[in-house]
Amino acid sequence: MRKKVMAKVILTVLILAMSATVLTGCRFGFASDPDDPNEVEKKVPIDTSTDTFEYDASLDGTSITLLNTKAEIQVALEEMGAEFEKKSGVHVEVMPVTDGDSPYTKMISLYNSGNPPTLAILDTTDVIALAEEKAVDLTGEAWTAEAEGYTTDIGGKIYSFPLCIEGRGVIYNRKAIEETLGREFDPDSVTTLDQFKALLDELVAGGMEKPVSMAKEDWSLGAHQLQYIYETFDGTSEGAQKVIGDIKAGEADLHSYGRVSEFLDMFDVLKEYNVAKGDPLGADYDEMAIDLADGKTAFWFNGNWAWPNLSEAGAKEEDAYGFLPYFMNNDSSDFVNSKIQGSPSKQVMLDGQVATEKEQAAAKEFLNWIVYSEIGQQMLVKTCNIIPPFQNNPYEPADPLSRDIYEKVHNGRAFNASAIVPNDHWAVLGAAMQKYLAGRSDREELINSIQDYWNEQE
Amino acid sequence: MRTKNKGKDFCMFALPGMFCFFAVVIVPFLYGVYLTLTDWNGVADVKNFVGLKNFGGVVKDAQFWTSLLLTFKYVIFVVIIVNVLAFGIAYLLTRGIKGENFFRAGFFTPNLIGGIVLGYIWQFVFSRVFVNIGESTGWSLFEVSWLSEPTNAFIALVVVSVWQLSGYMILIYVAGFMGLSEDVMEAASIDGASGFVKLKNIIMPLMMSSITICLFLTLSRAFMVYDVNLSLTAGAPYGTTEMAAMHVYEKAFTSRQFGVGQAEALILFIIVACISGIQVYLTKRQEVEA
Repeated sequence: MRKKVMAKVILTVLILAMSATVLTGCRFGFASDPDDPNEVEKKVPIDTSTDTFEYDASLDGTSITLLNTKAEIQVALEEMGAEFEKKSGVHVEVMPVTDGDSPYTKMISLYNSGNPPTLAILDTTDVIALAEEKAVDLTGEAWTAEAEGYTTDIGGKIYSFPLCIEGRGVIYNRKAIEETLGREFDPDSVTTLDQFKALLDELVAGGMEKPVSMAKEDWSLGAHQLQYIYETFDGTSEGAQKVIGDIKAGEADLHSYGRVSEFLDMFDVLKEYNVAKGDPLGADYDEMAIDLADGKTAFWFNGNWAWPNLSEAGAKEEDAYGFLPYFMNNDSSDFVNSKIQGSPSKQVMLDGQVATEKEQAAAKEFLNWIVYSEIGQQMLVKTCNIIPPFQNNPYEPADPLSRDIYEKVHNGRAFNASAIVPNDHWAVLGAAMQKYLAGRSDREELINSIQDYWNEQE
Repeated sequence: MRTKNKGKDFCMFALPGMFCFFAVVIVPFLYGVYLTLTDWNGVADVKNFVGLKNFGGVVKDAQFWTSLLLTFKYVIFVVIIVNVLAFGIAYLLTRGIKGENFFRAGFFTPNLIGGIVLGYIWQFVFSRVFVNIGESTGWSLFEVSWLSEPTNAFIALVVVSVWQLSGYMILIYVAGFMGLSEDVMEAASIDGASGFVKLKNIIMPLMMSSITICLFLTLSRAFMVYDVNLSLTAGAPYGTTEMAAMHVYEKAFTSRQFGVGQAEALILFIIVACISGIQVYLTKRQEVEA
């Protein structure tokens, strides 16, 4: 009997050990999450000696909440909140949106439970969906003048605070290109699609078999790539809205609208030189960062948010990375061949339904502090590593991708157009783009699915 | 006196449970039915009554019917494979072979890992491990990731679901086999029944109650699959592996058409309820007492 019990105990231990090794064993090989909010990043010192910002003493002791949907700046925002509390006495609680929860879903559940955040960092489409019913009108705020051109107009009013500028294009690794070509590379020398193609051919001849990385993710294909067809109409948000309206109303024919075929010309080039050409839908995002940092590839279509991935893959801040435009034709005077897209992507909305007047005042002070105080300005750029949309902010971002966008924005080499599309645009048309990327549909089918999508919109 | 006591007993024992059941199942369900008749977007203060317009939206939503068809296909594969496999393994594991308990525990382990984690583990296996094997051996089967080709991605989904669900069903079948009366088995053997005849005429009828439970569990779980679907393929490649439950979620939260999503959820519920009901009724009829 005792023997039997002993045998059972041993068996149980064995099984537990087996399952434990199976479980931990499976962790091996996963790249760590680049957006991990708990990751310790190197701290940039903030000079807090000068502070000319005037704090409203009556707000001391107020507590506000901030819903953060930019996971990579969670820790930075918490630090910012703590610093603001030290100075103003207003407590800022930063609530993260966990992976898997969409920001909008989180907002819905918070509103439905009667407990919405005082401030919420949202995408522009979310702000448009919620603002008129829920948000405080911020039209009269002083910072709107500093953020000219970057605010979002909803029915003639401004309901949101632009938090950052984000840009996208074809990221290049200058060192990898120069090493392969054996000569100096000037990114400004490429101004047409043919020149870009010639450069790719030269790289292939130099031994880099497939110089391009292309994400298969639907948000990258459906939002970041496909939206060029709207945003490059004339390089403005108004133009993008106009062309969307025309497509929706059936007035613009996608088959004859030039930007569609031009966009696909560039897309085909990227597709042709894709490092994962054999299995484009099996491409791994983390691997793309590693390939670019290692110089296996020279280009990666992405945005400045890819820096944490690149940095994790071994890229250093002093390395030469930057953006090439999304070349769409061979007319070097066309703005798409010389400018990259850079526009405000995250907006902060202030709740006007549940938040008390005091909380609203505290929230407004926090936003003003970010724009006007020496500490807030520094922390936005240095701690959060954000490209500020405010003209009065003198600080420059540190990583090469953000720096490149910052410079292009300030030298007039970026166009500020963001298309406002329905929320499922990236998912539905991202799938259509994936099919095209995998070579399982042709241009005709892809264009028809884009047209069908717009026809279904009310 | 008697009736009064009964009322008190009811209040003491049934009421708390009933209250919870109403609060978390019945009320949300009825509220959901009500939402199908409105144009609510999830946060708006006003809900406008729109009649059956949302159901019209469901009819027009071709992707929903495609995903429903795919779900049916998936359910058929999963239910059959899981039950045949689980029944067979449970049969073997009650024959008194060495290390029975070890195997039972081993087969059950996948069921202890949550669907999301399981999906990610297998995603790694399909898109990295298999591809590496393909690269080093040259086997065309593993050359490209299974998850980037619609048919293979579907097979991958079935494989993972079978791997996850079988353990649980094995446990139920094992319990069923252990409950078979030795006397009946012995009598059958003496009467000359052996092998397949014994399985078909004696064991199967006596196992019917286990089969009822297992079929019901696999049917409802397979119809409502979401977690494995989300973490393994997330609908990829290009939306070809999006099952009904996932489509409903996407419709409501990504496309922000709450009414249509809710109406689709209701239709899915009715389909699952009817099919499971018919299944339970049919298999219950086959149950016999030893």
